Amino acid sequence: MLDYWERRERLFRKSPEKEKQEEIRPDQQIRLASMIEESIVDGPGMRFVLFTQGCPHRCPGCHNPQTHALNGGTMVSFERVLERYDRQPHVRGITFSGGEPFLQAGLLAKVAEAVHQRGGDVVVYTGYQLERLQELAKGNAGILALLGETDLLIDGRFVQEKRCLEAPFVGSSNQRLLALSLLGNLLLNDIPVLPNGPAIERVTYC
Amino acid sequence: MHSAIVQTPKQIVKRDGTLVPFDYFKIRQAIAKANATVPSETLSDDELDRLTAEVVASLDANSQPGVEDIQDVVELVLMENGISQTAKAYILYRSEHAKMRERKSALMETFKRLSFTDASSTDIKRENANIDGNTSMGMMLKYGSEASKAFIDHYVLPEDMAKAHAEGDIHIHDKDFYLLTETCCQIDLQKLFENGFSTGHGFLREPQSIESYAALACIALQANQNEMHGGQSIPNFENVMAEGVHKTCHKHIKDVIEEHQLLSGDKQLLPEMVEHLLTFNYDDLVEALRKIDLGDVDSKDWPEALLKLVRRRVERSTYQAMQSLIHNLNTMHSRAGAQVPFTSINYGTGTSHAARLVMRQVLQATEDGLGDGETAIFPVQIFKVKDGINSQEGDPNYDLFQQAVRVSAKRLFPNFSFLDAPFNLQYYREGDDNTEVAYMGCRTRVMANIYDPNQEVTKGRGNLSFSSINLPRLGIEARGSIDKFFALLDKKMDLVFRQLRHRFEIQKRKTVLNYPFLMGQGIWIDSDTLDKHEEVERVLRHGTLSVGFIGLAETLVALTGKHHGECAESQALGLKIVQHMRERCDMRAQEEHLNYTLLATPAEGLSGRFVKIDRERYGMMKNITDHEYYTNSFHIPVYYKISAHAKIDFEAPYHAFTNAGHITYIELDGDPSLNLSAFEEIILYMKNAGIGYGSINHPLDRDPKCGYSGVIGTVCPRCGRKESPREPFERIRRITGYLVGALDRFNDAKKAEVAERVKHA
Repeated sequence: MLDYWERRERLFRKSPEKEKQEEIRPDQQIRLASMIEESIVDGPGMRFVLFTQGCPHRCPGCHNPQTHALNGGTMVSFERVLERYDRQPHVRGITFSGGEPFLQAGLLAKVAEAVHQRGGDVVVYTGYQLERLQELAKGNAGILALLGETDLLIDGRFVQEKRCLEAPFVGSSNQRLLALSLLGNLLLNDIPVLPNGPAIERVTYC
Repeated sequence: MHSAIVQTPKQIVKRDGTLVPFDYFKIRQAIAKANATVPSETLSDDELDRLTAEVVASLDANSQPGVEDIQDVVELVLMENGISQTAKAYILYRSEHAKMRERKSALMETFKRLSFTDASSTDIKRENANIDGNTSMGMMLKYGSEASKAFIDHYVLPEDMAKAHAEGDIHIHDKDFYLLTETCCQIDLQKLFENGFSTGHGFLREPQSIESYAALACIALQANQNEMHGGQSIPNFENVMAEGVHKTCHKHIKDVIEEHQLLSGDKQLLPEMVEHLLTFNYDDLVEALRKIDLGDVDSKDWPEALLKLVRRRVERSTYQAMQSLIHNLNTMHSRAGAQVPFTSINYGTGTSHAARLVMRQVLQATEDGLGDGETAIFPVQIFKVKDGINSQEGDPNYDLFQQAVRVSAKRLFPNFSFLDAPFNLQYYREGDDNTEVAYMGCRTRVMANIYDPNQEVTKGRGNLSFSSINLPRLGIEARGSIDKFFALLDKKMDLVFRQLRHRFEIQKRKTVLNYPFLMGQGIWIDSDTLDKHEEVERVLRHGTLSVGFIGLAETLVALTGKHHGECAESQALGLKIVQHMRERCDMRAQEEHLNYTLLATPAEGLSGRFVKIDRERYGMMKNITDHEYYTNSFHIPVYYKISAHAKIDFEAPYHAFTNAGHITYIELDGDPSLNLSAFEEIILYMKNAGIGYGSINHPLDRDPKCGYSGVIGTVCPRCGRKESPREPFERIRRITGYLVGALDRFNDAKKAEVAERVKHA
């Protein structure tokens, strides 16, 4: 654990072929349901969490139904988010949850990039499946960028019949833990497989 | 008499319920007596008559008024007539007498309360969360304890000390034991086991296997618990038990060789090999197997299968020994069967294979839980974290640290102590576990020794007694003046110093005969040098006398409007206060050559008592007296929302000052066993921040029906069953350092405190 930072230092590199994006002004705003400064239930380690507002999936039995409305929540500037993040120098990284983070992918990618620059890692929850996101990314630079900045993606809708309590960080057993970078592999390593828990698909990055 | 005919009641009811004839002159006399104390308001005989008549006229002639009813009327009449000074004197006189009567009957009233109410409705039965106040032995203990307290208040304690305790200026902990014994001891089992020992009811030979080591450890803890009122601790658990592992290993080698020679026909081991193997202890065995694994020795020369069989058997024996130790410590009783011994074990730094096996197995047994998988309440387990030994990848015991993290995330124990904190590191000498600071469950720490600086060690020492200061009251009384606060604090500390000394003067007069085990068997340091009839003073001086405090947060609110989690100036003042207290303790220690130390008080039973008295005295004051409890020692209030790291940063500097013991808690929301890296991050953050002793609290709920354990609200998330009074969920929480199986044994203030705790992550 302790040499984690060393390890990640070595492993982390920016993907060179990242798409050029429109310059984002620091005062541009993210629609948020809430912000949590320290959480142990939204990914490995102590994490800073953004719950984005607005979700098209609306899975029955959703844990956060208040985040569904597309116009709800509060607008928080990119700058303000980072300012709050910087006040928690001890967190391991950031988690985007929601809501559907990929509805605001472009701005969140910028946040993720800044977090990476500060040595943090990035976990993203999504109701889409990775394959679908990759398809959407073809026509959407923001989604492509956020996928590029994501270390660990936890994907798939919440399915009430497959709800599971014992598996860490997923709501239902159809959801997958997907490492999208070497840093993602480290995150994956820190998620225990419980002997009596349901089988959750894990994909390491190579 | 002025008025013509006054109808009077025929009889009145006395306090004890008997009827006596109404007596006009008694009323007059009472008024006259009160008036006589007020020279500025002298009443003439006529006036006295008139007032008395007025009182009598106000009484219903056809009733039988009680004494109190009549006194009420007297008060009213005096006040209505504007004779206010006399009225005041009269009221004072009344309340003084009420108090006197109260004192006389207080003990019997207490007994009544104890006898005729259920533990769930009376706080005094739940003062101590590990004693069951409903059982007959628990009750017997309570009768004794209450009678003892009454005796000590009225016949033993100097008046100012008794008053300070009764009025809530200070709290004399374990006052019922004032005339009897000391708080706690860190037991050196190695010394005790050598050549066997006696519990007073039979002699026990030196143990010869890990199972006996574990069993005798429990017996020693129990025997000592019966002679002391605080916790019992083993400061170097793994190193003691390692000796048992070696002995068991030797036995298994003998057995396995014997079986082998019997069954192997012509493939018998050569006598030289047998002889060589019989010299093996467990460490040799593991080393031999490792060399075989590495190919350093020719496995043909070694009976590899045989060695592996021995290793398996030793591992199993050790696991079973650790499991039964935990079972025993949760089921055996002390104090006439009313209480499980308060036991703690410290481990973490032993690096021999045998010591490592002990730790692995005791952690495993803790993780597996008791019979039904319940969380064990005892012993309190403390994992010593030390750089170079177990704090990072590559350290020999890092795997055990990670195991400790996993077990703690599931079972709340072990807690973590940090030997690298400067105030602990200064005593540390590599390879000598007697120089490793150990903690006892309630957070007690004993190390420095002004009486004998050559013996700044853990083994055989403990706390003699401790008393705590009600800091918030001083904060309130200072009315915003910091200077006044420090003056009041100094006065109060002097009182506590005197009181601790007063108690010590009683304690030191005891002889070895008073402690057949603690002193008779040489548990307490140097007690083996005492003559049987010798007074224990010279060995007792190795112990500590501790000044505790409670409610730094409320104190700061009273002084500055904000507590130390809210504002930097308050934090600076908080540190100044605690540092000052420590300096006073150090000075006193120099003067008297006694180990006066400063304690961050574990406030069981006390956290509600002070605030209750202060609320009556000063009324509701926001964030001072408006909660059901005063915040523990230097803690940030549990209701205040603060991040885990900030809480650690704020509390860490206080650890350096509180040399008699301290602990920092972090409350986690959610099940940390699913996020061990977060758990580990917090523990290591504590280490780096200079915390001495810390622990992480998290909800530990279990549905006994479906077996789900984790966070449960009112509905079990797995089986969907609602909690009902007949089948409640099990909820384990930590209270002043100890785990308690169910909230119903918490006293009211502690219940409120648990309910108000906010999570730090």
